[in-house]
Amino acid sequence: MTTTYTPTNPVWCSGCGHYGVKGAMERSLAQLGIAPHETMLLTGIGCSGSVQNNINAYGYHSMHGRVLPTATGAALANPELTVIAAGGDGDGYAIGGGHLVHALKRNASVLYILMNNAVYGLTKGQNSPTSGTAVDAVADAPIDGVSMGLAIPGTTFLARGFTRDADQLNDLMTKALEHVRAKKGFAFLEVLSPCVTYNDTFPDWDARVHNVDADPDYAPNDRGAAFVKTMNLNSEGKIPTGLIYHEDRPCFEAELLKNDTSPAQLSAHDPKNHLDKLQAVMERYHM
Amino acid sequence: MNIMTDMKKFTSEPRLCDDLTVCVAGQGGDGSLTIVTLLSDVLAHHGLNLYRTSNIASRIKGGHASALVRGSFEQHGGLGSAINILVAFDDEAIRLRGPYLTDDAIVIYDTSRGPLPEGIVPETVTLLEVPFSRYSVRELARDLFKNSFGFGLLSRVLGLADIEADQYLTNRFKKLKGRAMEGNRQALKLGFEVADEFGLTVGHQMLQLPKGEKKDHLFITGNEATAFGFLAAGGRFYAGYPITPATEVMDWLGKNLPQFDGVMVQAEDELSAINMAIGASLTGARAMTGSSSPGIALMGESISHCGSAEIPMVIVNSQRAGPSTGMPTKVEQSDLGMMISGGNGDFPRIVLAPGNSHECFEIGALATNLAQIAQCPVFIALDRALSQDTMTVPYFDLDSVEMDTGKMLDAAEVAELDEYKRYKITKDGISPWAIPGTPEGMSLVTGNERNEWGQVSTDLANRVAMMDKRSRKLETIKPMLPKAIVYGDTASKVGIIGVGVVGGIISETHNLLEQEGYKFQVHRPRVLFPLLQETLDFIASCDRVYVVEHSESGQLERVLSGAGADPSKLHGIRKYDGTPFWSDELTNRIKDAEAAK
Ligand SMILES: Cc1ncc(C[n+]2csc(CCOP(=O)(O)OP(=O)(O)O)c2C)c(N)n1
Ligand code: SF4
Repeated sequence: MTTTYTPTNPVWCSGCGHYGVKGAMERSLAQLGIAPHETMLLTGIGCSGSVQNNINAYGYHSMHGRVLPTATGAALANPELTVIAAGGDGDGYAIGGGHLVHALKRNASVLYILMNNAVYGLTKGQNSPTSGTAVDAVADAPIDGVSMGLAIPGTTFLARGFTRDADQLNDLMTKALEHVRAKKGFAFLEVLSPCVTYNDTFPDWDARVHNVDADPDYAPNDRGAAFVKTMNLNSEGKIPTGLIYHEDRPCFEAELLKNDTSPAQLSAHDPKNHLDKLQAVMERYHM
Repeated sequence: MNIMTDMKKFTSEPRLCDDLTVCVAGQGGDGSLTIVTLLSDVLAHHGLNLYRTSNIASRIKGGHASALVRGSFEQHGGLGSAINILVAFDDEAIRLRGPYLTDDAIVIYDTSRGPLPEGIVPETVTLLEVPFSRYSVRELARDLFKNSFGFGLLSRVLGLADIEADQYLTNRFKKLKGRAMEGNRQALKLGFEVADEFGLTVGHQMLQLPKGEKKDHLFITGNEATAFGFLAAGGRFYAGYPITPATEVMDWLGKNLPQFDGVMVQAEDELSAINMAIGASLTGARAMTGSSSPGIALMGESISHCGSAEIPMVIVNSQRAGPSTGMPTKVEQSDLGMMISGGNGDFPRIVLAPGNSHECFEIGALATNLAQIAQCPVFIALDRALSQDTMTVPYFDLDSVEMDTGKMLDAAEVAELDEYKRYKITKDGISPWAIPGTPEGMSLVTGNERNEWGQVSTDLANRVAMMDKRSRKLETIKPMLPKAIVYGDTASKVGIIGVGVVGGIISETHNLLEQEGYKFQVHRPRVLFPLLQETLDFIASCDRVYVVEHSESGQLERVLSGAGADPSKLHGIRKYDGTPFWSDELTNRIKDAEAAK
């Protein structure tokens, strides 16, 4: 056995929602038997962006807002890895918002966990893109990641969990991981993960969440119905949770990687094995 | 002015021409490149090296557009001093290009859109006036045929046999079908007929091309050659975002990477592009990103992150004229400061500067290996001209390209270790690393300061040890960096220095100055950071050094003095109007400076 780093204990405030996310992550990875060395956990910057230190996997800490392109690059370069990206609502909806739109559009096989606490935790309590409630707001209404996800045609997996409901969160995370590992593309899991120090939303969210998984008539493969349901719940001041939408479509890697050889498989890319092909490329410039 | 009009016969002896610059100019959409492409084939078949450039306004359609090709025995890496033949499809072409004509130039002017503007071209040029456009529309019902028409006339100017001219045309336009091909051949014949009227019959030409043996070489741009070098060295992942003049790197890899099981992604912006490349690089794939100046500025934080987190990354910067959006299609070398010191914090990086397409290939391959060896960002500094101009260069040595994976550990090597620390402090500053998927190789990679295990740490002693470790890499890789190209009189106390597109122009200028009895030593570094001792030694050996660059503030000069060169020895010769130096222009600037000293 080679000794490598030991995952540390989280540095979060006691009661922070992010503990629930970490717990669900560990449970789902264990349930699916995913080997730590085949798991890559990439995070953004924020209180949320330290979870990679606490999980046994290949961990990577990106810059603020950039975790999704990085995860996309990793998933394309080595499709054998299970690639998980995680970050906060500032990371994913503010500074990295453009990347989220395009990650949904591209559908690369990455699980993205956005820990939404409706506040900037690490920088001590400023408003985030999800601060406030849509119903009260006159201007500057908060972003709703679920409606946004539904609006993007490329979305293939969309769910929202709440750290209060550990079993549901574990179930959604497992489903999302299965989606990603079956190479069905991008799984977007927003987790309501309250910041007890700067914006304790537990009481508010306890009162407002509505679990669509509990509704036997709800069909998560009907985008139109999902839209109507989400809009109606939002206008009642409710927050839908559960598996909102999923569909089967080819993933981005399937479009780009036509053979079994991936860019990360270095032994296949030694120039000595490609001299004929390289020569042919060069001949195109003969003058 | 020697105006050739209908029926006036041309009688004088042909001039031998072994260094010829031809410009074809008109409006965007006139197809100026067509004649220049055909002419390139002609010049190459006469054993000449080629340098081709086009100058296209930043608008999509319309606006002045010109294409230029130079044929010369030596590859000068630039256009030279002036234009010998101008084919002008409108008066704007005369206004813009006329001032660059040699006194004995030949001007072929299309009178369809109006008479030749007065007082621009020298009195001494030979003028052939033909309403190419009007005739083409009248005889062949298509304006664009004026190009083959013009080529017909030009081929007689150069003394080609009609059958040869026809072969150049049919070979180059192999893909054209039926009527389109026939139309072009008819147009060519119109060119011959007009030439007959001018008395430019076979055997009675104006210029005589040399009868050199055709060489076998490559005709390739710097952008293509750089991308090719990366591919050859095992580069398999590229992400970019469209921007002039860097887009061709992305397009080229988009076409070629899939044939080698590689991936090109067009990202949503440059932030995404470099971070996708980072993601690929983390998995061990050999990755590159690229852009032009403003896009590289956007990447700043991520470049610093590669330096901190020790992530291999190749970054091509096809510099354009700044600041800000600047002049996208124009030449400048004003990102040197950004490349050598941009991004937050202190971190190791390498900045390489090729000077022609051949070096672009070699440095593209080298950078791909260096990034892996040093686990840090490696810039390839190009400029608009080097990126997009096409030049003939010797064949690339594919056999010599190696894939160096540096200190990457495989599963067996990791298994043999007692402990694996991603950021192990080593003498050479480089830590062995394992890529995701390797059993027991789990690690934490972060841009935060960290301890050897990758765990975030602000411990004072650790911080200093980690900064020192990263900085030691620069000394480790110095012996692997490409040496400068040096020539001239090593005994001379006067030096000339320049990089990139300036390199070729300096070499020609040096020849011109030598012919006039001047003695200089010339030094063209191919590393801008970390600057090699040889460059400082060169400056130390001179009393004064002319620093030739396309930067208003003198960025190269500051790179040199910042690395320790005596600033009082450095004399800036700068140009920042967006166009590269002509060699006679540079010659005069240096002569003036020498006279004033
Ligand atoms: C480029 C950049 N800008 C700003 C910051 C400062 N910063 C660090 S974390 C953060 C916001 C964190 O909020 P969120 O993403 O919601 O995560 P949380 O801490 O709430 O989990 C900011 C603004 C930074 N690290 N980088
Ligand atoms: S500040 Fe808020 S988000 Fe950060 S650890 Fe504490 S409770 Fe969690």
